[in-house]
Amino acid sequence: MYKNGKYRETDKMSDLICENYPMVLVMSRFGIALGFGEKNIGEVCRQNGVDPCTFLTVVNFLTEEVSEPVTNIDKCLSIEALIAYLHKAHAYFLDFRLPHIRRKLTDAIAGCPKDVAFVITKFFDDYATEVNKHMLYEEKTVFPYVRGLLKGVRDPKYNITIFRKHHDQIEMKIIELKNILIKYYPGPGNNLLNSVLFDIFATEQDLSSHNHVEDFLFVPAILALEKTIQ
Amino acid sequence: MSTNIKIAIAESSAIIRCGLETLLKRLPGFRIQISEITAADSLTEGLRIYKPDILIMNPSIPGNFNLQHLKDECGCPDMRCFALLYNVSDPLLLRPYDDQISVYDSPDELKQKLERLNAEEVSSEEGESDDQQTLSSREKEIVVCVVKGMTNREIADRLYLSTHTVITHRRNIARKLQVHSASGLTVYAIVNKLIELKDLNG
Repeated sequence: MYKNGKYRETDKMSDLICENYPMVLVMSRFGIALGFGEKNIGEVCRQNGVDPCTFLTVVNFLTEEVSEPVTNIDKCLSIEALIAYLHKAHAYFLDFRLPHIRRKLTDAIAGCPKDVAFVITKFFDDYATEVNKHMLYEEKTVFPYVRGLLKGVRDPKYNITIFRKHHDQIEMKIIELKNILIKYYPGPGNNLLNSVLFDIFATEQDLSSHNHVEDFLFVPAILALEKTIQ
Repeated sequence: MSTNIKIAIAESSAIIRCGLETLLKRLPGFRIQISEITAADSLTEGLRIYKPDILIMNPSIPGNFNLQHLKDECGCPDMRCFALLYNVSDPLLLRPYDDQISVYDSPDELKQKLERLNAEEVSSEEGESDDQQTLSSREKEIVVCVVKGMTNREIADRLYLSTHTVITHRRNIARKLQVHSASGLTVYAIVNKLIELKDLNG
């Protein structure tokens, strides 16, 4: 669907975004705003205090749809920048995306029977709680552990393999919500509900690629880091 | 209903791998996850981690191995194997494979082969070929129990079934509806009027 060659610092930022529109989210998670004019990726990154190598690693990882752990991680990748990126992605899902979908969903199903609206909302809230728990674990346990590693301190009770083994596919349950709405939603069709469905499709994709970055880029990078501090 | 399939492609040519992956992902009716294996030395390890339902492998991928050995070694005894062929091959070499895919197969042929392999799997697992997706009345009873928060043991006692049967029913329900969690089943039960909100605990 999207172009997938490797992007370089000298490519225009606007080309990247137009050719792969989900990258607008990546850009904003690195703290880069729109309105960058004709500048290329390297210039835009430096102007915003973003490490271009880490930005391009994530971008190329996502646009090439890598589906296995990355083995030859670029030495210039900054793990601090990668953590900052993952942290911003978490904030995006928890503080913006999910509450936004919830508001729209509640409005969209306002016309259906009360008990149905109640259980659908409850399903969504349970899901949001799960996502919260999933991401909070990374924030409270995984990231502090890695920040320790970066300072050369290794927590003897933890390693990244523990995380790798327990890291579940957080997008599976939102697929369930989508299935339920598509197959069993009892009310009349409406534009708002369709729009929520589109949001859910996009979020499913977004969560799945977020997990991919964690499993196939972040985890291998930390494994390599652990080896240097034996 | 789309079927989830995990496929590993063991093939050294990036052009062939990507082409096959693109075709597979476009097939309607399947939700396909792909893992690529690019060389023989990462084959066992790759399969052990990924545990695919189906392996599509170029039989001439360098390396000397036995398919049965491979399945045992990577802990996927039920994995099905397609041979991926560029041209005519020795039938003896192909005997251990479940089926073959030629690089000249059309997307339709590819789809038929996947469906055939998948149908065999479902019918051998369930002992019956049921393509209906609606729940039987027994399954609906079980949904109601699950939604009320009963354990498998309690459901078995209530309906005079063995827990094993209850588990089989639950697996079939999840497969038919593509809904796995209790809260998802609650929505299903309410929407389909199997239960009322006031009957729910908590």
